[in-house]
Amino acid sequence: MFYKTALATSVMMLSAGLVQAEETYRIGITQNNVGVDSYQTTYESAFENAADELDNVDVVVLDAGGDVARQIGQVRNLIQQRVDAIIIWPTNGQAVIPAIRQAHRAGIPVVVTNSKIAEAGLDYIAAFSGPDNVQQGASSAEMMCEALDGQGQIVQIAGQPGYTTAMERSKGFEDRLAEACPDVEILETQPADWNREKAQRVMENFLTKYDDIDGVYAGDDNMGVGALNAAKSAGRAEDIAFIGATNFAVGYEAIERGEYYGSIYQSPVDDAEAALQTALDVLEGKEVPKMNFFETPKITADNLSEFDKPVF
Amino acid sequence: MASAEHTKQGFMLSKTHKAGLLNFLSAQGILVFFLLCMFAFSLFSEQFLSQSNIMTVVRQASIIGIIAVGVTVVIIGGNLDLSVGSMLSFSTVLVVDLHDKIGPVGAILVMFALTLMLGAVNGFLVGFMRLNSLIVTLAMLSAIQGLVLIYSGGQNVDIANQSETWFSVFGQGYLLGIAVPVIIFALLAIIVQVVMSFTGYGRRIFAIGGNPVAAVYSGVRKNWCVFSTYLISAFCVACAALVLGSRVMGSQNNVGQGYELLVLAGIILGGTSLLGGAGSIWKTVIGVLILGFIQNGLLLLGYPYYTQWLVTWVIIILAVWLDLANKRKRLLTRHS
Repeated sequence: MFYKTALATSVMMLSAGLVQAEETYRIGITQNNVGVDSYQTTYESAFENAADELDNVDVVVLDAGGDVARQIGQVRNLIQQRVDAIIIWPTNGQAVIPAIRQAHRAGIPVVVTNSKIAEAGLDYIAAFSGPDNVQQGASSAEMMCEALDGQGQIVQIAGQPGYTTAMERSKGFEDRLAEACPDVEILETQPADWNREKAQRVMENFLTKYDDIDGVYAGDDNMGVGALNAAKSAGRAEDIAFIGATNFAVGYEAIERGEYYGSIYQSPVDDAEAALQTALDVLEGKEVPKMNFFETPKITADNLSEFDKPVF
Repeated sequence: MASAEHTKQGFMLSKTHKAGLLNFLSAQGILVFFLLCMFAFSLFSEQFLSQSNIMTVVRQASIIGIIAVGVTVVIIGGNLDLSVGSMLSFSTVLVVDLHDKIGPVGAILVMFALTLMLGAVNGFLVGFMRLNSLIVTLAMLSAIQGLVLIYSGGQNVDIANQSETWFSVFGQGYLLGIAVPVIIFALLAIIVQVVMSFTGYGRRIFAIGGNPVAAVYSGVRKNWCVFSTYLISAFCVACAALVLGSRVMGSQNNVGQGYELLVLAGIILGGTSLLGGAGSIWKTVIGVLILGFIQNGLLLLGYPYYTQWLVTWVIIILAVWLDLANKRKRLLTRHS
């Protein structure tokens, strides 16, 4: 995969050099863990497609396979290759900072994509591009208020502990919920590691523990659908409003069937295109804000038809 | 002789100690502990001993339990199987993905065939090539996870028309009021326990685990015996994948991640020796149930599920220590 891309890149560079004298940007990307989930797999192909459509961009596409050490090596590699910009999807928001600093010192602008790095590293990056997870949590809270008419008891199923996305979504949700509808009480929060089967088990225990649950907020649709499955087999799904985030195909279908109240539409295609565009803007010397969030709208039965079913 | 206590230690115990309440308690320490656990949790949570909660826990524990039945056989035979976690991912992804492509019957058949093939690879490497089972199955744990990712290309798989397929029966169905996963778990446990206790085959597995040299000299074909334990383990994983896939009606690539340790925890907690040659399926069943009730109890008390890890392993180390201390004491009294 990598070699093929590298080969294609060099061939493209060669031909681009022959045809036009206009400046060509070489952008290297090191991703987190392609192939481990559908979102990241779709992101990679979307990124390559977007780069293909631009004449003045060549990309070197790398993947860290979830391994921090490998990602640091890849960043160094890209510095050696003297690429014009580096896009990084951090495997770990803290551990990659030294590598990013090296790139910064070598005069190569770094764009962080999808998931943020720690505060300490912000000085060394040109920009961040990705979803606003705090805002997503807040939007989910607003949907919850709407679904319950501002009153009720809910449970929260969160993503993997320690994962920035999970923490930001929870925080956004809890803060906004307390503000927008203080009469909705969170009975309990349990993590389920973005895993549908675990979410199903956690929900089964919630259903045993609490006789009265009006709503479930899940950190993504994969877990939300797990919770829905549990409630369905307990015959209690009708009484519960399910709200998720990162709309998955299964979540989309459940909204279509009227079993699931709503979610947040986050497209890996938008995510990839935004990252590439941000890097280009930086290279072209445009004024780029530090934080660039692409649009992640609420999706419910009312506006479902405006969105394509997610491919993952 | 032909019982599950057909072990070096078990044999000695039954000779030196006549049955008595105290002896029963120490011999069945794990059962006593189990009841104490149940009692303790019931003090703090009203729902804990409710019928619906017990049913839920037993159903949740059955996936781990089904796999643990197979792995117990491997361990009694003197080897380990750590590959079951990613094997479960593989089989679940496969059966769910093929369900919509070639129909449920074909999907189940292909899944069982390929899972047994993975078991055969384990069995060949450990049984015939005589490689260390820890290393072989640890390598297979990573290799099979890679295989899953290559097969699925990273995409989650789902069954499209979930309400229209009878495939849901394995994970969500009920028979005479009992959840189907529990029935599968119970059937497998009973059949394997009977085979291990009352057949020549079972005795041979105990023999190669307990004293391989003596077993070979008495005519046991060790290679084939070891090979067969991995087939049993793979068969159990395939059954678990059936339940898991049908329960979730979809699968992530890493759905089985961590199951190898949960399974091992249940087996050790039950009291089956990792050294081989001793143990029983029913002990494993108790161990797995304790694990399930601890997790459930902690959740009902409001602790996050990962506190279960801490609590479980503290209990396991305590249990192993008590067990060992007990055996040492008995050996000493016997010799004095």
